[in-house]
Amino acid sequence: MSQSTTLERSRRSLSRLSEYSWAGLLAMATVLVIIMSVVSDSFLSDFNIFVVLRSVATAALIGAAQMTVLSIGQMNLSVGAIGGLVAITAGGIMDAYGLPGWLAITGGLACGAACGALNGLIVARTGINAFIVTIATASIFLGLTLGITEAQPYYNLDPGYTAFGQARLGFFPLMGFITLATLGILAVFFYRTLVGRQILAVGGNLSAAETAGIPVGRRVVWAHVISGLLAGGAGMLWASQLGAAQPMIGQSWLLISFAVPIIGGVALTGGSVRIIGLLLAALIIALIDNSLVHLGVDPFYVELLLGLFILGTVYASHVATRSGNPKRSLR
Amino acid sequence: MRTTLRLNQSRLGLLAVTLVFSATFAIFAQGFLSDFNLFTLLRFAAVQIVIAFGQMIALSAGEMNLSLGAIGGAVAMCTGGLMEVFQLSPFLAIPIGLALGAAMGSMNGILVVRTGINSFVITLATASVFTGLMLAITQADSYDALPEAFLTFSRIRVLGFPVSPLVLVMLAAAVLLWLLYTKTTLGREILAVGANRRAAAMSGVNVGATLIKTQMLSGLLAGLAGIMTAAMLADAVPRIGMDWMLGSFAIAVIGGTAITGGSVSVGGAIIGGFLVAGITNGVLLLNVSNFFVNLFLGLILLLAVSLDRIRSVAMTRMSLGARK
Repeated sequence: MSQSTTLERSRRSLSRLSEYSWAGLLAMATVLVIIMSVVSDSFLSDFNIFVVLRSVATAALIGAAQMTVLSIGQMNLSVGAIGGLVAITAGGIMDAYGLPGWLAITGGLACGAACGALNGLIVARTGINAFIVTIATASIFLGLTLGITEAQPYYNLDPGYTAFGQARLGFFPLMGFITLATLGILAVFFYRTLVGRQILAVGGNLSAAETAGIPVGRRVVWAHVISGLLAGGAGMLWASQLGAAQPMIGQSWLLISFAVPIIGGVALTGGSVRIIGLLLAALIIALIDNSLVHLGVDPFYVELLLGLFILGTVYASHVATRSGNPKRSLR
Repeated sequence: MRTTLRLNQSRLGLLAVTLVFSATFAIFAQGFLSDFNLFTLLRFAAVQIVIAFGQMIALSAGEMNLSLGAIGGAVAMCTGGLMEVFQLSPFLAIPIGLALGAAMGSMNGILVVRTGINSFVITLATASVFTGLMLAITQADSYDALPEAFLTFSRIRVLGFPVSPLVLVMLAAAVLLWLLYTKTTLGREILAVGANRRAAAMSGVNVGATLIKTQMLSGLLAGLAGIMTAAMLADAVPRIGMDWMLGSFAIAVIGGTAITGGSVSVGGAIIGGFLVAGITNGVLLLNVSNFFVNLFLGLILLLAVSLDRIRSVAMTRMSLGARK
């Protein structure tokens, strides 16, 4: 009896390990670091590592914002627009009203949650495709951002807020701790809490979740609210890094927001999250970006190579899941 | 029979909304009906509608094309470069540009079919590839010394009406699309693949080939829209296409094309395009800060899809009730 349970448990943990296909990503990141440290002298300097890790910190949060909505089998095209609106909300609270940083951050997070709640409520109440809803709300949020700021950045931010974007312990950016803590909380949420499991169940099989008595509508709203919070957090980190609350923050996030979770192994069909994969994917993208700069590649080619890289990794992971799990290819 | 009736009704509603908005702007926004404003408004609408056609054709097959803007920008720059740097006549440069658009679209289609990966992901990635390639080749310079023949084409008035020939180009594309969907096998196959891929494959439709042709046509239309934009701006700038995504989905969906595939409405897209262009233009004339234009467009899209949703739910309830 006890033997079979142990056997089953070990088999389950083995299949779980193979499910977490981040070993390939880790190998890729390691190879990149080794090659670049040989090719370029300044690659392993404290400052360069800091720069790379700082962009990992924001990219991972942007990817997490998308992953949360992907996990219920939907998409959120307003991640960037929420990031921008939250960044200028927090910036406006500090610049226009002269209030302290912690109040601005609280206000910003509330704004992000509200944006997410709006998305979630519209999707859950009307049953309209989340893709269309979030395209529309992205336009609304961008319109608000531009209308409020009249396309002018807020520069007079709390000095602590902007210093945080440059602060580091040796090579480790302080904002990295925020990302790590957030991802840790997300992992506990999705793997250990009832609401998190229910969100994944909704994404895995909507009608089964409904039959099992899960309040599907409320879980959809939850996922969108978390996505809004994460997008908003990324927007504020971005602003603190720039030292100004720019209204254009978030306008370039669309590709990254999907690339990070997809490379990290999150299925577009829903029902899964990959925390470590997400982090490694953000690291690889940041490393490639940084390497191309070090190699003196024409910056215009960076976008081209990033696109090709995403195509390649998506295809590789697609082939891997198809050969590894024959049931999947039937879908 | 019932579906055609429903589509016609929804288009009538859309037409009514468009007329109400136009009437409001005509009364309250000074200069809305002026000759000059009508000319630029119709020309702008024509370009937006062709962009939406590119998305509509992908949606009708249950696919998406997020690289619409990237293809449009690349084709505009290619055509501009051929005319300015290589001194090619527009009659040669435009077909080459369109061929490039079709080739990029085919590449999307082949990647989608061969890899079996969602078209959303594929075209998101190829958008970045196309834009990167275009920027690397052009070094982000614009071509503003375009031949006179190309520029006057967007400026002349057809028979003295405030109508640019670009509007006629849009109408020609619309007629061809209408013929494609109503008279050709390919059009029916695209809709069949969009409605139910499995059923289409079982009734002998070559799903892969249909998807590649769909993406090719989508790329072709994106290229056409890119060239039209360059003619309208009198300048081939790398920025062309960067802001097409919202409009392409909004106009197609407002026009009654379902995002889930299997349905299409060419006429709806035309009315939807005039609505979106009219609102953009009218809001600017009303002296509302132009930064809020995006806000209005988003609200209109939400309103349109909600109304459509309410109507379709009501229709299902009615037909269920009738059956009992």
